[in-house]
Amino acid sequence: MVDPALALLTFAGLSVVLAALLWPGRGLLPRWLRMAQLGERVRLEDALKHVFMCRQAGQACSVDSVAGRLGLSPARATALLSSLTRMGLIRMASDGPALTAMGARSAVSLVRTHRLWERYLADRTGVPPSEWHEQAERMEHALSPEQTDALEMRLGHPTWDPHGDPIPDASGELPPAPGVGLAEIDPGRSVEIVHLEDEPRETYDALLEDGLVLGGRLEVVAREDAGIRVRAGGREWTLDLVASRNVSVRPLPRGERAAGASMTLDAARIGERVRVLEISRACQGPERRRLLDLGLVRGTEITARFASAAGDPVAYTIRGALIALRRRQASRIAVEPVTGLPAEASS
Amino acid sequence: MTVRIPDAHGGCAQHRTDSLLRLGLNPDKWDVLVALAGNPNVGKSTVFNALTGLRQHTGNWPGKTITRAEGAFAHDGKRVKIVDLPGTYSLQAGSTDEEVARDFILFGRPDVTVVVVDATRLERNLNLALQILDITDRVVVYLNLVDEARRHGIAVDAARLEKELGVPVVSGVARTGTGVDELLAAAFRVATGATRTRPYRVAQLPAAVEDTVGELTREIDATFPSVPNARWVALRLLNADDAVVEVVRSGELGQLGDGPADGETPEPPPEPAERARVLQTARRLRWELPADFHDTLTERIYTAAQRIADGAQMRGLKRAGFDLDRTLDRLLTSRWLGFPCMLAILAAVFWITIEGANVPSGMLAALLIDTVHPWLKGLADAAGSPWWLSGFLFDGVYLATAWVVAVMLPPMAIFFPLFTLLEDFGYLPRVAFNLDALFRSAGAHGKQALTMCMGFGCNAAGVVSTRVIDSPRERLIAILTNNFSLCNGRWPTQILIATIFIGALAPAHLSGLVSAAAVIAIALLGIVTMFAASWFLSRTMLRGEATSFSLELPPYRPPRVLQTLYTSLIDRTVIVLWRAVVFAVPAGAVIWLVSNVHLGDASLAAHAVASLDPIGLLIGLNGVILLAYVVAIPANEIVIPTVLMLTVLTVDLASAGAGSGAGVMFELESIAATGELLRAGGWTLLTAVNLMLFSLLHNPCSTTLYTIYRETRSAGWTTLAAALPLVIGITVCFLVTQVWRLVATA
Repeated sequence: MVDPALALLTFAGLSVVLAALLWPGRGLLPRWLRMAQLGERVRLEDALKHVFMCRQAGQACSVDSVAGRLGLSPARATALLSSLTRMGLIRMASDGPALTAMGARSAVSLVRTHRLWERYLADRTGVPPSEWHEQAERMEHALSPEQTDALEMRLGHPTWDPHGDPIPDASGELPPAPGVGLAEIDPGRSVEIVHLEDEPRETYDALLEDGLVLGGRLEVVAREDAGIRVRAGGREWTLDLVASRNVSVRPLPRGERAAGASMTLDAARIGERVRVLEISRACQGPERRRLLDLGLVRGTEITARFASAAGDPVAYTIRGALIALRRRQASRIAVEPVTGLPAEASS
Repeated sequence: MTVRIPDAHGGCAQHRTDSLLRLGLNPDKWDVLVALAGNPNVGKSTVFNALTGLRQHTGNWPGKTITRAEGAFAHDGKRVKIVDLPGTYSLQAGSTDEEVARDFILFGRPDVTVVVVDATRLERNLNLALQILDITDRVVVYLNLVDEARRHGIAVDAARLEKELGVPVVSGVARTGTGVDELLAAAFRVATGATRTRPYRVAQLPAAVEDTVGELTREIDATFPSVPNARWVALRLLNADDAVVEVVRSGELGQLGDGPADGETPEPPPEPAERARVLQTARRLRWELPADFHDTLTERIYTAAQRIADGAQMRGLKRAGFDLDRTLDRLLTSRWLGFPCMLAILAAVFWITIEGANVPSGMLAALLIDTVHPWLKGLADAAGSPWWLSGFLFDGVYLATAWVVAVMLPPMAIFFPLFTLLEDFGYLPRVAFNLDALFRSAGAHGKQALTMCMGFGCNAAGVVSTRVIDSPRERLIAILTNNFSLCNGRWPTQILIATIFIGALAPAHLSGLVSAAAVIAIALLGIVTMFAASWFLSRTMLRGEATSFSLELPPYRPPRVLQTLYTSLIDRTVIVLWRAVVFAVPAGAVIWLVSNVHLGDASLAAHAVASLDPIGLLIGLNGVILLAYVVAIPANEIVIPTVLMLTVLTVDLASAGAGSGAGVMFELESIAATGELLRAGGWTLLTAVNLMLFSLLHNPCSTTLYTIYRETRSAGWTTLAAALPLVIGITVCFLVTQVWRLVATA
């Protein structure tokens, strides 16, 4: 019989080795797979996309900016750019590298795959927003044009990615990104967020942390030295200059104000009757669709009925049906109390 | 009444035939095609059964019909085909169910679509009905559950509703068959064109969107003048609905209407260039749509639904007696009594199952194994058949099947009807409601509590029951972890081994209690493992799967006992048993063959046991047990009989008079004798503990695996469902064994 102490030690050793190999994200195997993907083609495509993005944004583009973006030495970046030139994808203009017609097509195709994949992650999966960009960065190099077409079809030919960027269609048509910078808004105006830049990730994460979402509304309170003072959801805070540059907005018509909703459905007491104002834009994909289909649209009146034995979820009367919603879902539904009406007969 | 055969649809008949063949239906087989649509849990299946007499399973739960059910019957000399579409809240084609329902109504072009509407939730149900009226004129609304509505103080004016909707409305109670004949008559009148409908079409949109939609609508109207609802087509094009884009591109759209009146020639489809222009316009306009376009559409339909419902229903009428629903909910979901009530009810169900199954199980075993088996063998001998033929057929195939039936049938025949009664009554969704917080913390859905309970009856049935979880990620979690519910096939193993080895440790008067506690501890360990595995899966492999929680609590309904007994027997018990038998047959054959085919001087089984022994001993089991689990993959029920047979075979006790021969599974009359046999086979307390653990934590039986494959349609998830418990089981047994030995030697 095997010595039990020896067996247990071997088991512990094996577990450590397996964990080191397979641990999601940090294990040797996932790392190796990532490295294998980062081939020359990927770097070429990234450089091409960088040139495209710079030109699109009207910013300067140079060997240095390519090197900085891709984390390469200037010498490597120069070599990459000359490869791209030889392939007929870019040409050297007086103000740095510029795309040829063919290069523009390739770049748009990369952008299309990237944004479609982000849309896919947002609509069809539970991957958290802060990871969308990184996953799409990998997938844009992995999908073939046919796969991208199939993905677009499956998603129902979406027009915007979840950050508010337009998704070019198969013909490569790309309308300009919408909205103006938050810094250009006069204090006192209310705005709707139409674009949230997802790079760099730290800034984007901070924006998400602040509760900013595409389609969300803000009121610009004041322009300060440190940044822009904004108000939303009954809260007031300052967005620093870096962060506010990453937020594009559409001013609401004068008179229309950011929803001053300070109450969400989870705050409704048992027996209380409330009216739906909106479902938060942070709630997307199948979850949003389901809530809408159940009748949780603007103006719907609902009554909190009773909590489960564990306190969460809570059952609500929604358009005659008794529907249980979890606290987290209820906290994404902005409501206002309905007063002066007798409670509807329970059903 | 003159019935116009659907052929009279003019020039589009061929198109329709093509679409129907695409949808998997052969149009030669009927005269009238009826589609049945509605929200989940509105009694659609009950209407279906009332019309066809076919007993499709129905339950008081949202989301029963997942795949399309079909039935046929004759009415008025015509052959009628009826297709029960999946229950959906909407037709925006956001999920597979919605796509199936929408495509059938749009492309199958049924002669009439019956929309079943729940009178107690009129607004929500009208949301779907209005969407269907957008697609087709040929609609009849069946206002179901008017009795329940009355009980809740709601009266619906069917005539008013009919006037508003512009299509016939028939009210009734499908459970009792009230109004079903009228429904059929009305459906026939619409199908034959005797009733002309003027369906309500939702119109107004906010000004900004209206311009965009209006522009496209006008263009479609100009290009396809025969299309009945250009506005709906415009909205679908703006949603980039591929199916609709395709019919515009192909020109088929012009044929999808109800066709020209008799005698007129159908219009030719518009030129390809014109069709392309429509699509071009739609593409351009899509950039102008606001991000909340879908929200606006839904809002618009609900506004109309609310207006119509308010006009047609009277709420707050005097109720009969006290409010039963409210009182029951107050009790069954209360902070203090909710959980005790739940435990008491579930415990009662399990107790009745286990106690009640004992006697019939014994009787079946006596009949099938002790009486019929020797009789069959005798018959074969008398007929002079060679030993290997009767051995293979009766000792192998027959015995395995008989064993599965004897062990599995009685508990299932008791458990499933009881469970179905609770389901019919409406209690099960409340269990999910109460337990959701617990399951949520493991990343799962409250309804997993129910699929888990179902798994205690049979894992295959548990996996099928996960269909009630409509959120993709949570459903996968429930499927992959269902095997951690100790199923009926494994309870007898647990009880037997616990009695022999663990009960024996305690003083005689306590031994029954101790062994029962050991079995319950194993079942609880299964639940703990289920939570742990759910937590693990939801954070690793299933992290990226989409989720959409919702849980509807239907009103309590008096359960229909007889019908429940009938349908749950047919639906669950017989189907699951049949599948188990199908898998048991080859298992019996294999067990007999490995024991009787010799390689060199020993049987295949002896070779296998010898080579599996070292691995078995490492994890505290032995080669016999491992081989038994390999050959008994099809059914957990035959593990113990196979273990006993193999033990006799390998330890060579056959000469001592034990057992019934190579490859013949058996059980011993007395538990003490079984214990002695196992101890002679080298079993210790450690072996017993590990067997109990391994019986809980190993791959699902092949019936369950096959069911998992059918439900997920993925070899990957099926493999994971098999590997996950197996890896956990081997690891747990290994650790227990080695630590046990370490402690024992120290």
